[in-house]
Amino acid sequence: MARSARRSGYESLPGAAGLRAWARRHAFSLLSSLGSLTRQPIASSMTVIVLAVALTLPTALHVTIDNVERIGQGWERLDTLSVFLEPEISSDQAQRLASRLTAWPEIAAVDPISPDAGLVELSGQLNLGDLGEQITDNPLPWVLEITPESDVVVATLARRLEREGGIDLVIVDLQWLERLDAILAVIQQLISLLAALFAIGVAFIIANTIRMDIQNRREEIEVMALVGATAAFIRRPFLYSGLWYGLLGGFLAWAFIRIGLIVLSAPVARLSGSYQADFQLYPPAPEVTALLILGSGLFGILGSWLVVGQHLRRINP
Amino acid sequence: MISFEHVAKRYPGGIQALSDVNFSLERGELAFLTGHSGAGKSTLLRLIALLERPSRGQVVFEGRNVGKLARRHIPYLRRRIGVIFQDHRLLSDKRVFDNVALPLMIAGLSYSEIRRRVRAALDKVGLLDKEKMFPPMLSGGEQQRVGIARAIITKPPLILADEPTGNLDPDMSAELMRYFLQLNELGATVLIASHDLELIRQLGQRVLVLKGGEMIDDLPARQRLAGDSHGA
Repeated sequence: MARSARRSGYESLPGAAGLRAWARRHAFSLLSSLGSLTRQPIASSMTVIVLAVALTLPTALHVTIDNVERIGQGWERLDTLSVFLEPEISSDQAQRLASRLTAWPEIAAVDPISPDAGLVELSGQLNLGDLGEQITDNPLPWVLEITPESDVVVATLARRLEREGGIDLVIVDLQWLERLDAILAVIQQLISLLAALFAIGVAFIIANTIRMDIQNRREEIEVMALVGATAAFIRRPFLYSGLWYGLLGGFLAWAFIRIGLIVLSAPVARLSGSYQADFQLYPPAPEVTALLILGSGLFGILGSWLVVGQHLRRINP
Repeated sequence: MISFEHVAKRYPGGIQALSDVNFSLERGELAFLTGHSGAGKSTLLRLIALLERPSRGQVVFEGRNVGKLARRHIPYLRRRIGVIFQDHRLLSDKRVFDNVALPLMIAGLSYSEIRRRVRAALDKVGLLDKEKMFPPMLSGGEQQRVGIARAIITKPPLILADEPTGNLDPDMSAELMRYFLQLNELGATVLIASHDLELIRQLGQRVLVLKGGEMIDDLPARQRLAGDSHGA
């Protein structure tokens, strides 16, 4: 009883009237925050541009890695298997096996390499000159170079080939791909760290801007506190400002990335053309874009919350 | 309405603004608070509106120990107190209308209600035709009246004024004081800090005298003379 009596008059309105009052106060804060943004167009746009640059760096890295991974997937399809036949297999048997394997649906092409051809290739690679003429007993077996169909899992195909008769060894040179994947994973982790760092940067850039905004509007804040504005009411326009800064910064970063991709698309097309490939630059996925813009907005709110809270404690002892 | 019990205020740095102040002001009363500058007048008012907390003693407003009020309740306390400052504390980049409307915007009233009440308040202080102007375009007396309109717009039970006539000429000061007497007659409790002793003496209201942070005198209101200008 005593408590409710004590509270009356020192609290806001209850029920529907209170809700309407709440909505009106929010509308006031929203307009007020937009007003302060447009009142200082140069300062506001500088903040937004700094934010956008800070956000562009990790996002651009992410987009780069994303595209490299896509290219890597293309390379995996071009990969071949080297199938070493047992030494006692004759030319006829090797040719028969080759034509049998060609019929497999997983296999696109089979290129049989005879021991003699293999020796010539090897001596050429090792710069050993006329090795074939010096070696009378060629130790090399028949080798079938197999190009799998594009949608085939190479490892599974390799295991199936190993079970075939007459095949000694199947070598799949996926090591360099694995290394590429490992490198990409490291860079991916690096991007996560950078993104976290830049998110903190965004919060502090916005906090600093809001702090200057507060300095400019110190008088207004004090007057509002004097005539009975709650901390939430005073804080709200600044939180909205932080949100606008964050959203605009995120959006501009996205625009930077899109522009960058457009600028890069022609040189990339030339490069991929020189490899007879058809690489294409992919823009950030919708989830990444959403994360970029909304996350930036969220950190904007966080940043302004920090500064305004600090300032409010000085007015309300 | 207000009572001070053994109130002391020492600012960080060791400045003793008030030491052991005792007085009380009843609901519906009007009193002047006087004393030299530095006597502690502003501090006393700041303690009531909880712009400062007392170092010792109790400041009681409407039966509540203000000094112990939780921070989140401060805004609601301030809504029951209209404060008028010597330097007006108006927002110079907002129109007169918006300055006066601010407490109502904070309370979340509808625009039509705000409009009605702001115009009524501006009418009361004789500035209805200036509602679209910015404060710097007005004279000192007019700005002070805008400040009064803002302070009374929520019809607070207590009005505090800190040197409201500080920058005004004598005629303007006398006119302004009559506003406060009118507000008091309409039911508000009013406490005015001023060092304009001549004017205070003419008005014949209760006078509290501060000196060096202590309340050294409490002069009761004179009996009203027949034909007094502010009679019923």
